[in-house]
Amino acid sequence: MKDRLERTIRKFSSRCDYLEIRIEETHETRVVLNGPRLEDVGCRIDFGGNVRALHKGGWGFASFNSVDRLDEFAEHAIDQAKLVGRETSTLAPVEPARDDVLLDLRSDPRDVPLEEKVETMTAYNEQALAAHELIVNTATRYFDRIHRCWFANSEGSLVYQERADLGGAVAAYASDGGDTQSYWVPFGSSDDFSVVRGLEPGVAEACEVAVAKLTAPRVKGGEYTVVLDPRLAGVFIHEAFGHLSEGDNVYEDENLQEVMVLGREFGRPFLNVYDSGLEKGTRGHVVYDDEGVRTEKTYLIREGKLVGRLHSRETAGKTGERATGNARAIDYRFPPLPRMRTTVIEPGEATFEDLVAEIDLGVYCISASGGQTNGEMFTFTAANAYMIRNGKLAEMVRDVTLTGNVFVTLKNIDALANDVGIHDGPGGCGKAGQFPLPVSDGSPHVRIRNVVIGGR
Amino acid sequence: MRHIIERAAANGASHSEVFALSSLRTEVGFETNRLKKVSRTEERGVALRVVADGRIGFATSTKPGDVDSLVESALATARYGQEAEFRFASAVEPPEVVTTDERVAGLDIEDMLARAEDGIERILGYDDRLNCSCETSQEIQEIRVATSEGLDAGFERTLYRFTIEASFVEEGNFLSCHAYYGGTALDAEGQKLVYRVIENFKNARQNVDVAPGPSLVLLTPSAVADIMLTLNYAVNAAMVERRISPLTGRLGETIFDERITIYDDGLAKDGYATAPFDDEGVPSQRTAVIDSGVLKHFLTDLRTSQKLGLPPTGNGLRLKRFVATKDLGKLPAPEITNWEMAAGDTPHEELVARMSTGVIVDRIMGVVMGNLIAGDFSGNVSLGFKVENGKLRGRVKDTMIAGNVYELMRDKVVGISSDVERVGLLGGVGSHRYPYVLLKDVAVSTRG
Repeated sequence: MKDRLERTIRKFSSRCDYLEIRIEETHETRVVLNGPRLEDVGCRIDFGGNVRALHKGGWGFASFNSVDRLDEFAEHAIDQAKLVGRETSTLAPVEPARDDVLLDLRSDPRDVPLEEKVETMTAYNEQALAAHELIVNTATRYFDRIHRCWFANSEGSLVYQERADLGGAVAAYASDGGDTQSYWVPFGSSDDFSVVRGLEPGVAEACEVAVAKLTAPRVKGGEYTVVLDPRLAGVFIHEAFGHLSEGDNVYEDENLQEVMVLGREFGRPFLNVYDSGLEKGTRGHVVYDDEGVRTEKTYLIREGKLVGRLHSRETAGKTGERATGNARAIDYRFPPLPRMRTTVIEPGEATFEDLVAEIDLGVYCISASGGQTNGEMFTFTAANAYMIRNGKLAEMVRDVTLTGNVFVTLKNIDALANDVGIHDGPGGCGKAGQFPLPVSDGSPHVRIRNVVIGGR
Repeated sequence: MRHIIERAAANGASHSEVFALSSLRTEVGFETNRLKKVSRTEERGVALRVVADGRIGFATSTKPGDVDSLVESALATARYGQEAEFRFASAVEPPEVVTTDERVAGLDIEDMLARAEDGIERILGYDDRLNCSCETSQEIQEIRVATSEGLDAGFERTLYRFTIEASFVEEGNFLSCHAYYGGTALDAEGQKLVYRVIENFKNARQNVDVAPGPSLVLLTPSAVADIMLTLNYAVNAAMVERRISPLTGRLGETIFDERITIYDDGLAKDGYATAPFDDEGVPSQRTAVIDSGVLKHFLTDLRTSQKLGLPPTGNGLRLKRFVATKDLGKLPAPEITNWEMAAGDTPHEELVARMSTGVIVDRIMGVVMGNLIAGDFSGNVSLGFKVENGKLRGRVKDTMIAGNVYELMRDKVVGISSDVERVGLLGGVGSHRYPYVLLKDVAVSTRG
């Protein structure tokens, strides 16, 4: 395969400013149970590739399943790039990479027979269904994927990479006839099947919380001091700040460049945020990105100030910054875009109890059932929440959706606990039709002042 | 296709179904007012479902000619798969429906560039400080379904998409407005989409505060589509089967205001999801979901229809979540096609004129994160306007709305517009047709 890629690159590279080829083969196994029913045990073989050409600043892109027609697709991509290109091509310089990255797994999902995967997930599912008479339903899922990827470009890079990605969740749905509430135990990893084992306590907790939420009062809408648990704080930093740091939002928008100028104060001096491809075992672990750039640990906020961005080679080149290894695509059907990897808020010095003790009336928000941003505003929903009254955790409340302005809210982070954790789940990040991209996030407990919570 | 079915049978499958998809999509993309990329996506693949020893196996492959491992994988998963509770489709005469448009098939890259450039030019003509991005794409799909029960059918479909977004960023204020079109035919209303973006910009340039509390809220057609996600899920027969739909067991009951009628129409003219049959080979149809407030039908795939004894509605689709593109690797499941809500009797301008104070909500961010299945929604008003004495006063920010669809659409409907607009779903392309809906007592939360 490598020879084949290099042959096509050699044949066509003089016809445009930059040319790259990416071929991928992915083998996926899935187990899905909904309620008592085993819904899907399936497997997928996905094989295909793309050619991307850059000429005078314009991109052409052709993706395909028929790898035997590679040269034909290279011609398409180059013709398209020539149609687009009117300016100059600018790619941040990187050392050409020639490397083989082989799987290095702690526990290989391929060593576990399909039968055992089905039995393991079925057992969790049955545990949940039997946990309580009000648990009327479940959604239990598992997937593993083994990717092989060949990459070559006209600058001499030639990289073969293998990657693993696995994840899933057991979700319990409680219903009292009129209302339905849910909670879940998620898991995910890029190198370890054993995260699938030993989830019984998590399944039990998911059932208890789902049942308890049925009788919990709705939160009263308004402005509160909130404490976010590490999972929700991780979603917060991903949604509220990570997306804004993606170079393609900034590189051609002069107004946004002014707003996102490096050195600008985004938070208080104890706030440090990074995005890293180096966190082995997390789903956001990436050795070379989809432009063949070696990944790194990229600080975004240091001591409260904006210090970095997540770049592809083009967005880095156009802003005069360094390529950071963030160019990622969900699969060969798409060109890479600046995307996150594992995004983390570094810990502070307080304890969780310290954060809560100073709040007269607030909300403790646990785990997210989702999050979204439009650049300036973010919103996310807590999967579980408790009121904080007079410095102590009080009653459970439900339907807690938080919203705010990114810039204001980051400055309103007034305390960080010392208990950072990186968490993985089965989901992923969506952008420009590319969903779900495996990413991870991590954070300690975080306290934020003046957050709007929607409610009735 | 037949050779895959024969191979599966020879290897021990008692029944089988092959779904084959091939598509060619060409797309042009503009960013920050400039042409940025042209792309071409060619895709081919097959999905095979088999029944062996009463259990279902499922495998997909995009490797051309890879029949052996496809059949082998499908049979291997069947050893542990779900029990076969239904039969694959047999041959029937599908309804006549037009799914191709020569004008879409005939588009070349220059045509698509011209369409995008025209939209951007008009927006910049309104305000040249705006940043526009625009994507135009043409897709030609070929879909075939064959089964061991004698079905062997296929059709071709053309899809045209046009999305345009204009944004303006200044210190402390981001504003972005967008519009979408997606359908089997060329957009007859292309200019209207662009005007809507400009109109929204005009109305949103000034930020104003609103008072929190129960409010009169006019949902635009795209906001109605957003909150109707709750109903999209609740009438899904798989959710009914799992008894997590609050509508379980309630067919024939009045659940909405009697002025509300909603169809799922797999045969809608030019619809983005229009097809002669679904991804299991079941004929498409126009299904009344809600008729004058009464819950009429749940939307089914083969399995839920046969298991729950519900009429087949042709909603068994293989779709990627949130982006509504075909996904070979997904098992068919009940999914909506094109939704249409019947018009009311008052032009929407008149509904606005009747509002003493209230909010027009156009985009709700985060609506998917609520307890959707229960009908609860909650989200940030990412584009909304304050109304005073029937006049728009500016954009509302830092504001959330929340509510329950079953309460609001039953007890709080003040008016429904006589004009209906075609909108996308979840910020994506699509062709759902909704009127404006004026509601009272909607919970609005703001700062302070």
